Amino acid sequence: MRRNLFILTGILLLALPQFLFAQSRTVAVLTPFLAQPGTQLMVEGFEAAAKSKGWQVDVIDTSGDVAALVSRMEDVALQKVDVMVINVDPSQIRNGLLAAKDAGIPVFGMDSGADPLLTANVTSNGYVMAAETATYVVDQLNGKGNVVMFIFEPYPPVQKRGAIAESIFNNEPDIKIMEKITPSFDRGPLEGARNAMEAVLTANPAKGSIQAVWAAWDDPALGAEQAIRDAGREDEGIVIVGIDATEQARDRIAARGNLKATVAQDFNGIANTVANTVEQYLKSGSVSRSQIYVSAKLVTADDL
Amino acid sequence: MTGSLQLASLLRRYGTFLGFLLIVSFFWSQRPDTFMTTRNWLNITQQVSILCVISFTMTLVMVGGDFDLSVGSMASLSGMIAAVLWQQDVSLFGALGTALLVGAFGGVLNGVLVAYAGLSAFVATLGTLTIFSGLALLVSEGKTIFGRAIPEIVGDFSRGGIPLAEGIQLPNLTLIAISILILMGIVLQHTVFGRNLHAVGGNREASLLAGVPVARLRLIAFAVNSVGAAIAGLMLVSRLSSANPTQGDGLMLNAIASVFVGMTMSEEGEPNLFGTLTGVLILGVLSNGLTQLRIDTYVQQILTGLIIIVAVLFSRLSLRRR
Repeated sequence: MRRNLFILTGILLLALPQFLFAQSRTVAVLTPFLAQPGTQLMVEGFEAAAKSKGWQVDVIDTSGDVAALVSRMEDVALQKVDVMVINVDPSQIRNGLLAAKDAGIPVFGMDSGADPLLTANVTSNGYVMAAETATYVVDQLNGKGNVVMFIFEPYPPVQKRGAIAESIFNNEPDIKIMEKITPSFDRGPLEGARNAMEAVLTANPAKGSIQAVWAAWDDPALGAEQAIRDAGREDEGIVIVGIDATEQARDRIAARGNLKATVAQDFNGIANTVANTVEQYLKSGSVSRSQIYVSAKLVTADDL
Repeated sequence: MTGSLQLASLLRRYGTFLGFLLIVSFFWSQRPDTFMTTRNWLNITQQVSILCVISFTMTLVMVGGDFDLSVGSMASLSGMIAAVLWQQDVSLFGALGTALLVGAFGGVLNGVLVAYAGLSAFVATLGTLTIFSGLALLVSEGKTIFGRAIPEIVGDFSRGGIPLAEGIQLPNLTLIAISILILMGIVLQHTVFGRNLHAVGGNREASLLAGVPVARLRLIAFAVNSVGAAIAGLMLVSRLSSANPTQGDGLMLNAIASVFVGMTMSEEGEPNLFGTLTGVLILGVLSNGLTQLRIDTYVQQILTGLIIIVAVLFSRLSLRRR
């Protein structure tokens, strides 16, 4: 037994040096999504920015477990860190936000949603992202042609994108929205979009009957591109655009096929803006805006 | 000689508990201002309450010599069913009751497959794990349900409790865990069912020959455990004010780990509630304390795993030496 205790103590002592270097400003970054590439980029960007400002950053990742994230928020609230930065949907961690509020600790969202319990949230503007790709389509078509839209109404951030793109297309007299499709999720949106696009292609067999496919995110754009290739209609010059700039979408854009553009969130810009907003808050005790947008960037083959 | 043997036996029985106390003292010494406070301990009890409920009822199944891999996905499923029903304007208690019924039904299914159809608990509950998990995704269409769909009182419940002092309350979720602990304690120690279940777990053949209704007892244990998982799932919905089709999945491994750690605290290596409680508390205190000490979360995971192995390994070695 003594050996048992000895081993336990040893293990714990090994970890000791990590917390002997406490500094004045401590920021806890909490997320269940550190395995996601976007989150990773933001957290790394924030750590770099914080380092230059001389803050101590603790990154806490609960590997997908949102309940554990609430627990860890309660822990760091009790530990009286100066600031919490979260990357998670605030509506799911209300208990954690309230624990922070009780402890008087400001919480900043890094690409989370808006919430009254957050001091500020920094994110990309979904409306602007959709406008970027929709105007790209209008420009490529010289303001004339038939467009197939892939939308998703049930999820508010994606619904926004569809609404903006639709009004841009409707504002162009010679652009016609020929279909608005919500892809089936049964076997993933890529497969769902692909099947739907196959049906559209079959219903419109004439060459040049479709000029563009606008997708509210990358998966349906990729699915539509596959359907067009499988139907042997890749040479008709159908322009496809997506949003989010996933790895797969970048690959296809770089291959210079029908998928022409997507929009990348500026994760590093978001991280830096969070750090600057936190700094402003620590200095003045307030922030100028509670919802702060960072521009996203259109990605085409020339950027890859 | 007898004296030292007794001491060895005591250490064997309470070694894990001593280890727990050692961990607590260590955190106490490192974070004297925040760790050993009523506030923090009430936080810890609330943080482990959901795992507690699932682990306590899992102890019942494991006392009977079985185990159940499907509890985590049952927790996800029950929470999801309640949330979907609320979304469709079913009453608060109508949805809660349905979720618990689904739990009971799932447990009976496990029990029939294992105790009557003769499948191994591993295979049967691995199968139902996948089924429950698929059902949770199916009823939710893979989406998280949050916001107005979840009745306000559900989220408020996990923030409420019995006031103890100014700004300090015994959380409702902790109260549920304590109630289940007491209930399971009575069932296991003070009922014929509990005593027979111990016999079944100790020696199934002998129990059968002695006229114990082995299959029925095992089925009941599975049913109770699954209802426990359903309760845990509903607690999770309350704590998160939202339901996600996979949010309970992680509970299963931690529950089994807690019972295993607890088994080191019995002379015969049997599952027991006090041991399970210690196991859960070790996991909870480690997460809480290591976060307060600002240890990297991945290092935390490794330390937690090591400590579980060390505890079980040590009790194995000392059993063999006997």
